[in-house]
Amino acid sequence: MKESYSLIFNIKRYDPESRKSWVQAYGIEAGRILRFTDVLRKINKELDPTLSWNSSCEHAQCGSCSVVINGQPMLACELLVENAVDHFGTTTFTIEPITVAPVLRDLVVDLEKAYDRVHRIRPFIITPSQNPNQGQEYRISPRLMDRYLEATRCINCFCCATACISSHKGFIGPNAVLASVVRIMDPREDATEERLKQLYSDEGVYRCHTSMACSHVCPKDIDVAHFIGLVKDGDFT
Amino acid sequence: MEKKFKLSSTIHCDVLIIGAGGAGLRCAAHILEKRPGTHILAVTKVSHPQKSHTSTAQGGLAAVDPKDAVDKPIYHMFDTWKGSDCMADQPVVQKIIDAAWEEIVWLENKGMHFTRDEEGRLSKRTFGGHTVRFGEASAFRAVFEADRTGKGIMDNVWGEALKGGVTFLNQTLLTELLFQKDRCVGAVLFMVKKGEFVAVSAKATVLATGGCGQVFRVTTNCRQNTGDAHAVALQAGLPLMDMEAVQFHPTGIVGPGILASETLRSVGGILRNKDLEPFMAKYAPKMKELAPRDLVARAIETEIREGRGILNPDHNIEHVWIDLRHLSDYVHEVQIPEVSGFFKQFMNLNPRTHLCPVRPSNHYQMGGIPTNSFGEVQKSPDTTISGLYAAGECGCASFHGFNRLGTNSILELITMGRFVGERVVLFLDEGEARLPADAGDKTFLQFSGYLENKNEENIEQIREDMRRMMTENVGVFRSEDGLNTAIRTLFVFKERVSGAALRSRGLQMNQELVQRWELDNLLSVSMVIAQGALRRRESRGGHARVDFPHRHDEFNSHTLAYMLDFGKILFSNRPVDMSIYEAKGENFEKFGMMERKY
Repeated sequence: MKESYSLIFNIKRYDPESRKSWVQAYGIEAGRILRFTDVLRKINKELDPTLSWNSSCEHAQCGSCSVVINGQPMLACELLVENAVDHFGTTTFTIEPITVAPVLRDLVVDLEKAYDRVHRIRPFIITPSQNPNQGQEYRISPRLMDRYLEATRCINCFCCATACISSHKGFIGPNAVLASVVRIMDPREDATEERLKQLYSDEGVYRCHTSMACSHVCPKDIDVAHFIGLVKDGDFT
Repeated sequence: MEKKFKLSSTIHCDVLIIGAGGAGLRCAAHILEKRPGTHILAVTKVSHPQKSHTSTAQGGLAAVDPKDAVDKPIYHMFDTWKGSDCMADQPVVQKIIDAAWEEIVWLENKGMHFTRDEEGRLSKRTFGGHTVRFGEASAFRAVFEADRTGKGIMDNVWGEALKGGVTFLNQTLLTELLFQKDRCVGAVLFMVKKGEFVAVSAKATVLATGGCGQVFRVTTNCRQNTGDAHAVALQAGLPLMDMEAVQFHPTGIVGPGILASETLRSVGGILRNKDLEPFMAKYAPKMKELAPRDLVARAIETEIREGRGILNPDHNIEHVWIDLRHLSDYVHEVQIPEVSGFFKQFMNLNPRTHLCPVRPSNHYQMGGIPTNSFGEVQKSPDTTISGLYAAGECGCASFHGFNRLGTNSILELITMGRFVGERVVLFLDEGEARLPADAGDKTFLQFSGYLENKNEENIEQIREDMRRMMTENVGVFRSEDGLNTAIRTLFVFKERVSGAALRSRGLQMNQELVQRWELDNLLSVSMVIAQGALRRRESRGGHARVDFPHRHDEFNSHTLAYMLDFGKILFSNRPVDMSIYEAKGENFEKFGMMERKY
């Protein structure tokens, strides 16, 4: 087992003040189980404090550190050095920002702009259904919930939207559809028709070409394409 | 002064909420329910509210279901009081626990995906320290959403805040609170993306920025938990309370610090040192691995300190092993799949065949900005600052005292968030707030200083050195010598950082500038923790002094610390409110001073 690796990180950089972008190569030695976020921090400490990147929880629960590594969108916090070497078969990595929002600096994108898509589908119960147990919780069978619970695990990291071949061409994007499907399948939501109307609109699911890239890249292993498929079929039972 | 240091605009709003996590947005949602159309500005340092630390809470949310035939709020109150090592304020404990189930119903009705039982009701599970009949048996009291309860809360309060029309300002820092006499009238913010400073005039200002776990090298906290509101409050001459009360979880995964839950030990995991000796028998001959959290944390720390730890070369952190190799496939697959998964995901280890590295990890700050039970910020035990509120981990009412029970943290943030909302609604009829003429001056002085410095120090390096030093001297174990070393060293760090030159000189999206500011906050908070710990010559809850291993009645009061100049701290005290005990009502004897023994 190799203890440490000499890595080359070719990082796409952007300076908002000069509006210049370039690729900068960093050579760095990194222990085998360091995460890519640890390596970026090491670059800040040892080579270049100006390199900007985003993270928050750093254990794959918040979806802040998504970047494109050798063409594949993924969370930098859960990619270990030795796994990356193994997966890509190289010690040289090209790291770029995700592509669904404007770049603010280097690897940091304006996530707020990416979230516009999620906000548009209204990620809450629009019209609450009648609760027979007024003042108490709704009763929902666990078997009914099982059909959509997987979709509630989405952390809006936008890896799927970055990988999606349609999300740059008018499609609202896989994670936004997912957030709406959850409420369509949730018995507490009455605004199903309104939601479906949006999902069948110009920015809706028919933009999807079923490449299934969303399911393939999802860091939470959600079968996103399955849920998009339910909308296309119009069958949520 | 350079021209770039100016207020680019002034924003007027009714309510300014700093920190858009669980507490902040629960507060926003309540205000909008009661007063639709209220103009609320919610500010967060992270790129979007959903990225808040609340989202990472796993286990559950404690609340007594009124339909439960066995459990009662009084039992939950007793557990919380006992767990706090007799330092929680009893009316706060009662108020939060009495409101708990209403909040669960609110969350559920708004769409949270709680795990259900066969009848479709909310499932409940047990958690350490939660009992029925005053310690007789474990209570099934924690409702949960699989292993992502915090995410469920976050998604929901964010959704409700969005639905109600909150204006969000992401990637924005609170740099200064603004006052007119003893009323808070708003704040100065730095918008990181644009590199602009703005003043906000608000009738009410709510602080909800979370904890300060980044003070320590190994922590379960997010990268952004740097004690920002704590530091800004100190700068405004306000006190912090009980900051020496820090909780360490015994088993964080090395080096990210991710929580490896108690379950690993309860299913039979064995802790071993570098000689593979199962060392818990030395510290707790009967309970061994099942001893309480703090005892296990101290045992692990002792092994490491006495040279029986193992150094992880990649993260440069010492640890012990947890041995799960002897457990059956059933246990691995059914009982501990998630935690097992963490070792695979972040350490590349298979717990069935490999020893797994763990060490105590900073987990929670029990102290914070002192408030009363309404979340109104106090300047002293008898005076509040009108128009200023705090809720969530950055506030301290105090519900947890010196030790927090599992599943009580997200209960606290959601209930205190609402209580603050209730208070703010009443306050909104107050007249428009006028900003002081010198708004921004303090901020500009601070930020222009950051950009003028010239030496070769690296911010990230100092941050790492500080976190390592704090873990060593102000962590699981504390002693007079260690704390004095810490305080001395913090002055050295402050000196080092005060001249550190930034390589990025612009204001726009300058990560180094943000980190430089965070480091000042971390240093201030660290200083208050260290000096508070030095002053408290006893051991209580999360605060363990090797030189004073027992609890002493003379310290039965909250620490208040004021620090206008770095390192110069003025201490005073706030009495612990034991009014339930003093009222001598039913079961009052359960709320007297007692030993925290299980």
